[in-house]
Amino acid sequence: MQNLLDTVKGPWFIAVYTWREGLRRKTLVGFLVLSLLVIFGATFMTSFINQATVGDVTTDMDLKLIKDICVTTISIFGILITIFISASVVPTEIENRVIYTVLSKPVRRFQYLFGKFLGVQLIIIMNLCLMGGLFFIALYIKQQILPTLLLWSVFLTYFEFLIVSALTFAIACASSSSVLPTIAGLFIYITGSLTEYLKDVYNRSGQSGEWFDTLIGYIAYILWNILPNLQRFSLKTQIINSQPNDPPTDVLIPQLVIYGLIYAVCGYILAYWIFRKREV
Amino acid sequence: MSNNHNPVIKTLNLTKVYDTGFRGEQVSALKNLNLEVYPSEIFGYLGPNGSGKTTTIKLLLGLIFPTSGSIEIMGTKDIYSAYVKKNIGYLPEGSYYPDFLKGEEILRFYGQLYGLTGKELGKRIDEVLELVGMTHARRRLLKGYSKGMRQRIGLAQALISDPQILILDEPTTGLDPIARKEIRDILSHLRDKGKTLLISSHELLEVEMISNRVGILYEGILRVAGTLDELLTSKDRIIEFANAKNGVVQEIENKGGEVVDQVKDRVYLKVKNDEELYKVIELCKNLGLQLIKITPRRETLEELFVNVIDLAKKERSL
Repeated sequence: MQNLLDTVKGPWFIAVYTWREGLRRKTLVGFLVLSLLVIFGATFMTSFINQATVGDVTTDMDLKLIKDICVTTISIFGILITIFISASVVPTEIENRVIYTVLSKPVRRFQYLFGKFLGVQLIIIMNLCLMGGLFFIALYIKQQILPTLLLWSVFLTYFEFLIVSALTFAIACASSSSVLPTIAGLFIYITGSLTEYLKDVYNRSGQSGEWFDTLIGYIAYILWNILPNLQRFSLKTQIINSQPNDPPTDVLIPQLVIYGLIYAVCGYILAYWIFRKREV
Repeated sequence: MSNNHNPVIKTLNLTKVYDTGFRGEQVSALKNLNLEVYPSEIFGYLGPNGSGKTTTIKLLLGLIFPTSGSIEIMGTKDIYSAYVKKNIGYLPEGSYYPDFLKGEEILRFYGQLYGLTGKELGKRIDEVLELVGMTHARRRLLKGYSKGMRQRIGLAQALISDPQILILDEPTTGLDPIARKEIRDILSHLRDKGKTLLISSHELLEVEMISNRVGILYEGILRVAGTLDELLTSKDRIIEFANAKNGVVQEIENKGGEVVDQVKDRVYLKVKNDEELYKVIELCKNLGLQLIKITPRRETLEELFVNVIDLAKKERSL
């Protein structure tokens, strides 16, 4: 039990250090402040529109506008922060040689990586809480109903970010600069958001009967099964069109959590596999 | 020095080859290094830039992996074990510490990585801050630290677990003379307390002042290693004569003597062997000079360093 505690303690200290360091990163803070301004601004702006018009239709539009802007803001800025921080924590430490002093201590490489990964997750969770919290308050003020659906959405968004974060982190462990992993992270996010189309490609393949068409279909099918499907985590349409306290529909939350965790574990294992023999 | 003890650091035919490109090009950074560092000594690890010093240190710390050969630290080949890591303190060259942390927070973080907590950690932080003379600045952010203060905090983090072995990469580079002296005193004090120090440095004078043994590395090969007394021997002697009048120096030099200095009526001549010694004495006696003393001349570490490197270059060009 004591050994287990010792194994976990080191990563936790590294995680807290990573989190504290992350809070000082200007780019990250910039993204966060900007996102909070957009969410706050959207609420303020729609209040202004509301005063100039009358009727339920406008109020409904007003709310949809707020929701659309805020959900999009959380999604865009959240993923930028996720990719930026996941892509940079390890390469930055190699670049500024902090890693030498850490790995020369009784810290195994898997512990170091786990600590860094945990620290990244703390930063992502904090950002999501701040952005989601502000949106939550704005919605509550507008509708006087607790927007529980938003909480579910933020919860699922975290698992979406977790997948992108884990895979970006793994690539960052092979890189000496944060540029390549950042580009790769964006690629993963964009591809993961379009995975549903691969299924369409598979469903429509083979109709011409040509081997090439069939092959493309199989490749699309394999990719559809391997790549994360990030669209599954989105409750955006429901948030915009439903009541704020409606339960989430069309999603199986426990399965999505497991789905996210599987990708995260795979990402971490890949990161460790790359990093275990990496010379720093 | 200490040859009757087992070495605390020992490498056997340690070799490191780096792959440098897609075409399979390779560079040998270290070739069959056989290094031994004994308990309670300061070992000065010298060499020009790119000679393989940092590669050796990284290998010892497990930051990179050997191509061949072996490393033994404190009697074990498992250099990644907690036992070994807890007994090694490391100060990297030009180490970076985040500006947003205070001096004692840095030490707390590194201490926690050693498994220190609570009062034990607090006590240790107090001790190392006192040792490196940084108690007064413990609650200041690192961004307000001078270069010397940062180096001291770096040294403090290397000492936080009270390790038996200290590996220091250029510990005094970039520091002013006072800071250098203070760091030097701390290192000597640590040696006197029984710690083993491996110091990689370009500062030959500093190393000569505090080291018990030195090793000179060039192009990945350990050219010489031994105690300073063993290495800095020379048959050169300096002979001091009195009653030197004007023009006598010229006369001595015309007859083949090597005058190294003249102060008032004193002249100092250098001879390389006994034959030269008797010849010079006879010559000076004939010129009316009075023999004052004959002093064996010890080679400086800088001279040894230059000679070793020159010899290595000559060997390569052959």
